[in-house]
Amino acid sequence: MNLHEELMERLARRRSASLGGLSDAAYAELLLAVREQPEAYVDDPRDDAFNQIVKAVDRVMRSREDDDLRDDEEFMRERSQRMERLRRDCAQALATAPESVHARLLNILASDLEPDGQLDELLALERSVEAERGPLTVPTSGDAWHDIFTHGRLRLQACIARTCLDSARYRMANEYGQALIAVSPCDAVGARHTCSLCLARLEDEQGFDALDARFDRRGDSWQQLGRTILFYKLGRMAAARRALMGYASLCEGGPYALLRPVMVDTYLPDRPAADPYSFAEVTLAVHEADPVICDVPDFCTWAEAQGTFGKDARSFADRNGFGW
Amino acid sequence: MSYDPHREDYQRLGLRFARSLDGKDPAAATRAFASFGRRFSQNRDSLPQSDADRAFHLVAEATTLIDYELPFADDDRAEKLIDQGHRLLDEALALDARCHDAIRMKLAAESPSFESYYDFLTKGADDVRAACEEARAQAHDESPERALLEADIAMRPYYRWLATQAGKAVICGRNREAIRIGEQLLELDPLDCADVRFTCAIAYAKLEDDAGLDRFAARTKPLRRANTDDAWMQISRISLAHKRHDMDEARHLLARLIDTYPHAAMALTSQKELPDGVFARLAVAPFSEDELILAVSEGTVLLQEGRDDAGRGVLGTWIARHTGLDGKPEATR
Repeated sequence: MNLHEELMERLARRRSASLGGLSDAAYAELLLAVREQPEAYVDDPRDDAFNQIVKAVDRVMRSREDDDLRDDEEFMRERSQRMERLRRDCAQALATAPESVHARLLNILASDLEPDGQLDELLALERSVEAERGPLTVPTSGDAWHDIFTHGRLRLQACIARTCLDSARYRMANEYGQALIAVSPCDAVGARHTCSLCLARLEDEQGFDALDARFDRRGDSWQQLGRTILFYKLGRMAAARRALMGYASLCEGGPYALLRPVMVDTYLPDRPAADPYSFAEVTLAVHEADPVICDVPDFCTWAEAQGTFGKDARSFADRNGFGW
Repeated sequence: MSYDPHREDYQRLGLRFARSLDGKDPAAATRAFASFGRRFSQNRDSLPQSDADRAFHLVAEATTLIDYELPFADDDRAEKLIDQGHRLLDEALALDARCHDAIRMKLAAESPSFESYYDFLTKGADDVRAACEEARAQAHDESPERALLEADIAMRPYYRWLATQAGKAVICGRNREAIRIGEQLLELDPLDCADVRFTCAIAYAKLEDDAGLDRFAARTKPLRRANTDDAWMQISRISLAHKRHDMDEARHLLARLIDTYPHAAMALTSQKELPDGVFARLAVAPFSEDELILAVSEGTVLLQEGRDDAGRGVLGTWIARHTGLDGKPEATR
């Protein structure tokens, strides 16, 4: 899920195909050569556009590193400037290769639309891409993610699912997520996380459990949080309490993350990488769950009052020098 | 339909008065009954009544203050109304410790959260049911019609309890529970005097259960007034179309809602959130502007969903944007 690494693979794949297909060993060698000097292998406009996008996203990420030091006003100004720059970069990439899904997707995300408007744009993009390239199907390899040139489409689908969640379309979000998992069972884009939250919101215990089983009950912050919300909504308070305790013990800083949610900036286009059950992961899960949590108005008050949950949140804040 | 406490107060005393005339000669009874209305309004103490009847009368008075006057009062007057209302409820409970309407109304104000009120209602439901059924079993009347009315009145505090519980379940985000409670009430009171089906419609939309709402609408079709879907059902359907991203259908349904209710544009753009009636859903005229205002207020759980910086919710923003001030949906103007 590292865009840099994907660029290398794209370039190597494209070159390998133009050479008529290489043995595994030869391909490995080619990949090393590409990593040495990627620019030398950019000879297709689509890769050129992708390269521009990788750089543009890099620029945004670098600028975000100092956000903690900015005051609100400065942050908003800085943010709007970098999003505008990103839109310009996307326009340039699209001038190079108008069919670039990544450039079109990022251009939409950089426009900061409200969820309804963003969904309209994303669905329109989905229709165009489908018209250009046909429907997304399960390839012979068994997973669409194995084809590097399909990543943009998979990211678009994941983004549609998340935007559906943000616009309170939980069934549609789940359907997009499940369809994505069907064509890409490895689920590198993490559609299952969106599904978990939506199934909890829809009080669909069966669906929630089936999804959990589908991923071998590996669990993650979304799953823990979703299960707690699900049982709470179903009024099964003893089970909800157990799930909450599981969430608190598995997710690092989980109580703090839930009780003091922070602003998380737009995913460009992926959810940032985070270790399982890390504080970074649970922060993302709580952020994504915000519309679902708001819909259970007393959920956080209840959670805070369970066992040492509230105390744990405060001591986590103290230990890490976070305000309370 | 909803529950009008003053009408119920009248019915209670009317029943008791009618019973007191049993055995008298019909002409005298008719003469006596002719004076009932005047005595009810001007000298109710002269009418036969139990402590439970007296308590219910105080509940009716408190309802006027809390449900019908308070929402329109300024801060100074609001405080007075609340004090006065609660004094009436305390007095009602002093007269009849099992006045479940008064108990429920007091707790509505005293509960620190939606959740604690909902918990209280859930925990108390079985006892209220038992008490109401006991009262119903004690109902005795020579006239079969009066016996029916008396039995119905005996159960109403429980019906209102369940209706409140279903409404709070939706607010607490427990939509399956809301539907379960609503179904229970519909079974007990198939005429749905509490209009709990309105709450159920919203809960189905929250669960995005299109098929469930269709089945529910078909089953409750005989309860439809004027052969037209009420605002709760229509808002639920608009929400479902919006959630399916069937925007043409959503616009079409919004236009229909605007055609159904007078001055709909105002209610749909201002989207006022009113406090729920603590006695019961406010009694308003069917298909009036007030009814739409109530439905929009209860539909807040649908309108204010989603991530929306303006704080209005995704559907709320969409509805306001697509309702022209002339009452025509934007798209058809």
